[in-house]
Amino acid sequence: MPEQKVVIDVGDGAAIPTKKDHGLLSAWRIAFFGAVLVLLYLVIVHPDPYWNLMKFIRDGVVVTFEVTFASIGLALILGLFTGLGRVSHNRFINLAASTYVEVVRGIPLLVQLFYIYYALGQFVRVPDMLAAIIAMSFCYGAYMGEVVRAGIEAIDKGQREASVSLGFNEVQTMRYVILPQALRTILPPVGNEFIALLKDTSLVSILAVSDLLRRGREFASESFAYFETYTLIAVVYLIITLILSKLVGTMEERMGNHVRH
Amino acid sequence: MYDTEAIIRISNVNKSFGRLKALDNVSLNVYPGEKVVIIGPSGSGKSTLLRTINKLETVDSGQIIVDGFNLYDPAIDINRVRMELGMVFQSFNLFPHKTVLQNLTLAPIKLRHIKREDAERTALELLKKVGIAAKLNSYPTQLSGGQKQRVAIARALAMNPKIMLFDEPTSALDPEMIGEVLDVMISLAREGTTMVVVTHEMGFAREVGDRVIFMDEGKILEEGPPEHFFQNPEHPRLRKFLEQIL
Repeated sequence: MPEQKVVIDVGDGAAIPTKKDHGLLSAWRIAFFGAVLVLLYLVIVHPDPYWNLMKFIRDGVVVTFEVTFASIGLALILGLFTGLGRVSHNRFINLAASTYVEVVRGIPLLVQLFYIYYALGQFVRVPDMLAAIIAMSFCYGAYMGEVVRAGIEAIDKGQREASVSLGFNEVQTMRYVILPQALRTILPPVGNEFIALLKDTSLVSILAVSDLLRRGREFASESFAYFETYTLIAVVYLIITLILSKLVGTMEERMGNHVRH
Repeated sequence: MYDTEAIIRISNVNKSFGRLKALDNVSLNVYPGEKVVIIGPSGSGKSTLLRTINKLETVDSGQIIVDGFNLYDPAIDINRVRMELGMVFQSFNLFPHKTVLQNLTLAPIKLRHIKREDAERTALELLKKVGIAAKLNSYPTQLSGGQKQRVAIARALAMNPKIMLFDEPTSALDPEMIGEVLDVMISLAREGTTMVVVTHEMGFAREVGDRVIFMDEGKILEEGPPEHFFQNPEHPRLRKFLEQIL
């Protein structure tokens, strides 16, 4: 009997719809068009407060994207080095990278945000936005490091052997042979982390960063329209993450069509 | 038979994987231009022995000198030594993200600092030689097993190595593709390339081997020219092995 291997693959981002998964694709369509319809209905039929609210939170959407893009960029760089460190044969580098991952993964993101903003803020004063980006990148750099490590380890060991047999050293092997292949396999999980990160940026609203959620809170506390405000905030987040998960799914399909071994 | 110095000198080499003795006090010299074929049952240590020559496997004790370089001298640059050793694997190990042409030119361009046009011209000649020039812009996934292995041989040759090492190059191939790969290896042998080949192809061993080596349980049990080796095997273990496979 062939060995059965059970793989439970659950990411913390939105589920990625691809053409292969019809059920999920239908679910995506229901959620997305449902959310868009709800949004249109609210804004058109009840412009007060929804249209006013939309105008009010617009800056917040921009800030949410700014924090997301800046953090994902830094997290990718940090993650690349962390992942390389995790597969390094140098004991010191390996230990440093592994410890970083262990520590970061063991502390809730919200606590990390508080720590960098308030605790470290007692010694170094950094602008709100910068503190938020540093904290998000620091946290997601560790997750990204694990994605990079998995991507590198998924490459057949014969690839390394072929490369070093030609005379490439370990660094050249990583650069010319392993990483170009690993990047291809890690793109979908990186997309997933990107979506998860976007959702987690809502935590930075605690740090006086005027992101989407924070703008909503400001509107609600002035107007006392809590139900209306948070309904709209939820719908806007949902639409953004659904668009992103669709983009990641499309990207994944494109990659699938490309050369695979 | 050979008046020159051995290009590969393996002396009293030992290697264990846990409790398994993969190489048990093995010594072997290979001379320039010589074709040495290593045969033996699975797990006999023949692949391990081959892989110690370019240090893909490190040994526990003993000495290995390749092209004048002691592989265990910390002062040597193992990558320089490997540039002179072409290696062909059972599982091809072509770079899947590169085209056939790029598979051949990557190492010469980056390591030998050869100009792209020159590297491509050499690569094309090699691809013609292995009969696969039409596929130069294909990716490895688009090739059959036999084609992949011929590209892998051409990739190793593109570095213009002094010695070619083959680790069961036909074992992963469908039977009808074995011939095309062996043909390439035979023509290489005719050109005088120094070759060390681990294989199960007895026909190949007989036809091109200057010397055949039989290994079992990490030891070299018998060696000699193929005529003698196959017609009058002395060691009982070899006799049994030949009976089983021929």
